[in-house]
Amino acid sequence: MDPLERLSSPAPEFLDRLAASTRALHWLVALPVLLLLLTGLTNFWPELKALHVGGARVFAWLHVLIGLGFAVALVPSVIAILMRRAARRDARELLAFGLDDYLWLQHRVLRAAGLRSVGPRVGKFNAGQKLNAVLSAAATAALMGTGVVLGVNYWSKDVFDVDLVGAVFRWHTVLSVLLLPLIAGHLYMALLNPGTRESLRGVTTGRVRRSWAERHHGAWADRVREERRAGEG
Amino acid sequence: MTGEPRRPDEGERATPRARRLLSRARFLGLLAGGAAVGALSTRVFGLVDGWRENTVEESRPVFDPGTYRLTVDGLVARPLSLDYEALRALPAVRQVSDFHCVEGWMVPDVRWDGVLFQSLAELVGPLPDARYVTFHSLGGVYRDSLSLTQARLPGVLIAYDLDGAPLSRVRGAPARLVMPRMFGYKGPKWLTRVEFRDRQDLGYWQQRGWRVDAWIRSSD
Repeated sequence: MDPLERLSSPAPEFLDRLAASTRALHWLVALPVLLLLLTGLTNFWPELKALHVGGARVFAWLHVLIGLGFAVALVPSVIAILMRRAARRDARELLAFGLDDYLWLQHRVLRAAGLRSVGPRVGKFNAGQKLNAVLSAAATAALMGTGVVLGVNYWSKDVFDVDLVGAVFRWHTVLSVLLLPLIAGHLYMALLNPGTRESLRGVTTGRVRRSWAERHHGAWADRVREERRAGEG
Repeated sequence: MTGEPRRPDEGERATPRARRLLSRARFLGLLAGGAAVGALSTRVFGLVDGWRENTVEESRPVFDPGTYRLTVDGLVARPLSLDYEALRALPAVRQVSDFHCVEGWMVPDVRWDGVLFQSLAELVGPLPDARYVTFHSLGGVYRDSLSLTQARLPGVLIAYDLDGAPLSRVRGAPARLVMPRMFGYKGPKWLTRVEFRDRQDLGYWQQRGWRVDAWIRSSD
């Protein structure tokens, strides 16, 4: 937050942004994926990969265990969470991609190229957040599908043909390599980038500063105000 | 994003139907473009296909052509000690096979050049009691073994070239055992000793519970 803003708003006002169910869904996916990514990356680090207790290599074992646990727990958890209206509404908004989203992306590209551009008003989620959500979800689902095959193969080599396993292993790697920049960008914006860091508060406490929301999600901030007014009236 | 003045007419020129079609086509195009770029870059960086490294040595053994010896001993009539030049001077064969790691990854159509185990066995003359062979790594930690019958199967070789070039340090220079019908952990890298024995010596991973006969189950 820049110093000027701090001076002009000594007591920040907050807007409710993400309901508990939406936050639960985020962390339910984020934590296992992060652990899977870290343990999976040891594949490219032979010294770490070789670490073993008895015949079990620590990181491979953890990776398979977390992955299979995640695969078993995810579908019922997602169903349970999507029973909540707030999470359903957020999911719908994340998946709705319209012309304004395209214009917003174009606006960001033009601005990044140093050109003058005026973007559309942004709703609850901007096109970058939507793209990130869709691509991450698709990559995670595909990683889970291929990962289950590899996880089963970890315990028994008699279930799948080796050539199938080899092909699936390759796709698992391709997908994780594709997911990596998405996660890196996501972490950068959530933890480091000053303009977007406020969203971390949203996904942990559920609330964000009104001033931030008005600048970054103007259409959504307006909508919240109107809904609040309607609620009071 | 900063607080630019907004232009509410932006993006409201097209009819709703055209807007929907346009945005859907552009969205799909974006997805396809992203996937294409990703697939291309993974190919370029070679992260997907090819070898991964596994080792339990303290550090990767260093091959010194001046001091290296491949010792072939144990229950044999004529023990051998070959330097690198002598190993390469033996009758060579080329063998192409898919390399399968127990972890699941594979490298298709690997071209190995080297000496058939069977030729080496004929040179040293195994004694009647010799029924197993242990293969030792230069680092002194890793080893694995095969029965003499398994080691004599066609395609089992002491390889020194991989895809037409001498083995690199990471891939096991100067020589490694290739047993194409079993998983890769049965083929020690940095091979320095071939020991004929009467009883099977358990390899590094077998001592820790891994399968001794790591046959690859394949449709071909």
